Amino acid sequence: MFDSVNSVQQTLQQQDYIAERGLATAIYLALRLGRPLFLEGEAGVGKTEIARVLSGALGSDLIRLQCYEGLDASNALYEWNYAAQMLHLRLLEASGASRQEMQAGIFSREFLQTRPLLRAVENSVDGLRPVLLIDEIDRADEEFEAFLLELLSDFQVTIPELGTIRAETPPVVVVTSNRTREVHDALKRRCLYYWIDYPSFEKELHIVRTKAPDVEPLLARQVTAFIQEMRELELFKSPGVAETLDWTAALVALDQRALSLQTVAETLGVILKYQDDIDMLSGDSLQALHERAIVQAQTNAALVS
Amino acid sequence: MNHAPVLPDGTFHQGGKLLHNLLLFGRMCRALGMAATPNRMIEVANALGHIDLGQRLDVYHTMRSLIVSRQRDLELFDRAFDLFWSRPVDDWVQLDMPPPVENEPRRMKFLLPPGASPLDENSDGVASPGDSHLTAVLPTWSTQEQLRYKDFSEMSQEELALAKRILEKLPQSLDFRRTRRLRPGRGALIDLRRAMRQNLRHAGEYFTLPTRAPGVKPRPLVLICDISGSMERYTRIFLHFMHTFATGMQQVESFVFSVHLTRVTRQIRHKSIDRALSDVGSSVNDWGGGTRTGEALRDFNYRWSRRVLGRGAMVLIITDGWDRGDPVLLRQEMERLQLSCHRLIWLNPLLDLPRYEPLTRGARAMLPYADDFLPLRNLDNLETVVTALQKLARRN
Repeated sequence: MFDSVNSVQQTLQQQDYIAERGLATAIYLALRLGRPLFLEGEAGVGKTEIARVLSGALGSDLIRLQCYEGLDASNALYEWNYAAQMLHLRLLEASGASRQEMQAGIFSREFLQTRPLLRAVENSVDGLRPVLLIDEIDRADEEFEAFLLELLSDFQVTIPELGTIRAETPPVVVVTSNRTREVHDALKRRCLYYWIDYPSFEKELHIVRTKAPDVEPLLARQVTAFIQEMRELELFKSPGVAETLDWTAALVALDQRALSLQTVAETLGVILKYQDDIDMLSGDSLQALHERAIVQAQTNAALVS
Repeated sequence: MNHAPVLPDGTFHQGGKLLHNLLLFGRMCRALGMAATPNRMIEVANALGHIDLGQRLDVYHTMRSLIVSRQRDLELFDRAFDLFWSRPVDDWVQLDMPPPVENEPRRMKFLLPPGASPLDENSDGVASPGDSHLTAVLPTWSTQEQLRYKDFSEMSQEELALAKRILEKLPQSLDFRRTRRLRPGRGALIDLRRAMRQNLRHAGEYFTLPTRAPGVKPRPLVLICDISGSMERYTRIFLHFMHTFATGMQQVESFVFSVHLTRVTRQIRHKSIDRALSDVGSSVNDWGGGTRTGEALRDFNYRWSRRVLGRGAMVLIITDGWDRGDPVLLRQEMERLQLSCHRLIWLNPLLDLPRYEPLTRGARAMLPYADDFLPLRNLDNLETVVTALQKLARRN
C-alpha cells in the first residue's frame, strides 16, 4: 500500500486527504525509515488530520497524546493505580500474606495504568504499527521534550517493577507543532521535517469539494477564492483550511448557493476569531474583498473545469 | 510558496558521482547554517536509495525533509538546491572539496536578510572559488552598512573588562513564574507514587504523606531595542546589555528595530561579544534610521508574539520614545503588546535632558501601557541600568 510516493498520495486521497507531493514523500520516508514525522504549520492546515488519515489507511490504532505544560511520565507513559493497590494491600493483610507476596502482588500488570506512550510501544507487536500522534509538542515544556527524545530513539520503556517493554517495529510517530515556542533542534533532528503551507486555490478547492461533496460548485469556488484573497491581507490570524471547511458547512446549513455580501458579513465570525481582524474587514474593505473573490472565482472556473 | 525547483533531466545520474556531489551539497548546506552533519548526509544517501532518482521532485523533497529542520531555512535550501543541482554536469569534477574553513565570518554573509545589495566580489578576499557562486546569488548586506556598526567593535580591552564587571551584577532574572510541572516539595497535592513506596514497609499504614508542589522558573524575557538615529550613542551599551542577558539567561528573545523589526536572538547569543555584535550588525540593514515604533511593534505582534510570548513572558522595550510613525498605531500596538505579555517594562534613556518629561508624541502614546517605566539619566554609564534592573527584580 505504501510502497512508493505515488501510492502514498493515492492512499491518502482515498482517505479524503489531499496531500501535495512533498508531504507524500515525507510520509513515505517516515514509514520506510521508521522515523518520526515532524509537522509544522499555521493552525488549521491539517497537521493532526494526517495522523488520523494514516491510521485509517494502515488499519491500525491512533494513539493520541495531547501535550500541555507540566505533562509528565505519569500522564504520558504509565502510572500505578494507587487506589486499587491500597485496597489490594488491605485484602492481602487480612489474609496474612508475607511481605514478598504483598510487593509482588501490588506491582503487577493488573494495577498498571498505561498511558499513550506506553500503549504505543506495547501495541507495536505482531507486525502492527499503531500511529502515535504527539500533538502540539510546543505546549509541553523542555523537560518533557528531553524525555521524549529518549523514547523516540529506541522505543522501549523500562518499568522498574516489571522490566523492559520494547516495540518490535517502531510505531508510526507524528509530532505536530504550532510554533508557539521553538522546539529544540535535538528533537527535530531525529525527525523528518515538513512545513505544511496554506494550500493553493486548486488544492483548497479540491479539499472543499472532497470534504463537502454536496456543496454547490459555484459556492465552493467562491468560498475558496474568498479565503485565498483573505490570506493576502495582513490579518492577525489568517484563516486555515479548517476555517474554510467550517465556513462551507455553515453556508450549506444556511442554504446558500452563492456567496452574497450580506451572508459574508453575517458569518464572518466563523472564519475570523479576532475582533481587530473583523473590524479591519468592515464596510468598504469587505465589499472590495468580496468583489475580488467573485471575480477570482469566475476566472478560476475555466481553469478548474 | 514552496516552489519546486526545476532540474534538467538526469541530474541525479552522474555516473557514480552522486555521493560525492551529495557530500558537497551537504557542506554547502552546513555553510548556510543548516544541520547537514555528515551523519545526516549518510541518512540522506540511505533515504535516496528508497526513492526513484529519476523523479527530481522526490529527490528534492527527500533531501529537504532530512536536511531542513526550521521553516526559515526552507527558502535558503530551495535556493541552494536550485543552484547546486542545476549546474552543468561537466562542471562537477572541477569542484574540489575545499578544507573546512575556520574563518567564520564567511558564513554570516550567507545568512543575510533579503533585499540588501549584493556584495562586491572584488572586496571579498576570503571567498574560495566554490563560494563565488553563492555570494553572487544569495543576498548580502551592503558594505556601507558594514561601516556603520564598526564602532561597536572598537571597544578597548579596558572598556570591555569594565563593562563585563558591571554587567555581571545584572539580576539572574527579572521575575519568576510558577511552573505547572510539580516537583516533590511542601504543597497541597499528595504524591501518591512516593506515598505508596515510602509506606510499603508499614504494610499499607500511611505514616507519612509526601506532597508535590509547583516549581519556579525564570520568566522568559523578550528584549526589544531601538537602534534608530536618536538612540545611536546608547546602542553600543544596550547591545552589550542584551548580549549579557541573552548569554546568561535561558529563554531570551532579542529584537532590534528602527524602521523595521529584526530578530537577533541567535546572533546575539554568540559567546564572544565581538562576534555577536558583528553578527547583529550584519543582519540589520537599517542602523540609525528613523524610528517607526508603531510599525515595528505591529510587526512583532503579528509575526512573533505568538511564538515568543508564551509562558508569561516579560517584555523589556528600550527606546527613547522619539517616534516618527503614526501615534494611533503605536497606541494600538502597545496596548496589544501589554495585553499579551506578563509585564511590559519600558527602559528609557533620557537624552540627557535635566528634567525630561515623556512629552513627545511617541512617548505619550506609549506611557499608559508600560507596566514599569524606567527613566534613566546618564546612560553612558552602564551601572545605572544594572542598578535599576536589580531594584526591579527585587520588587518582583
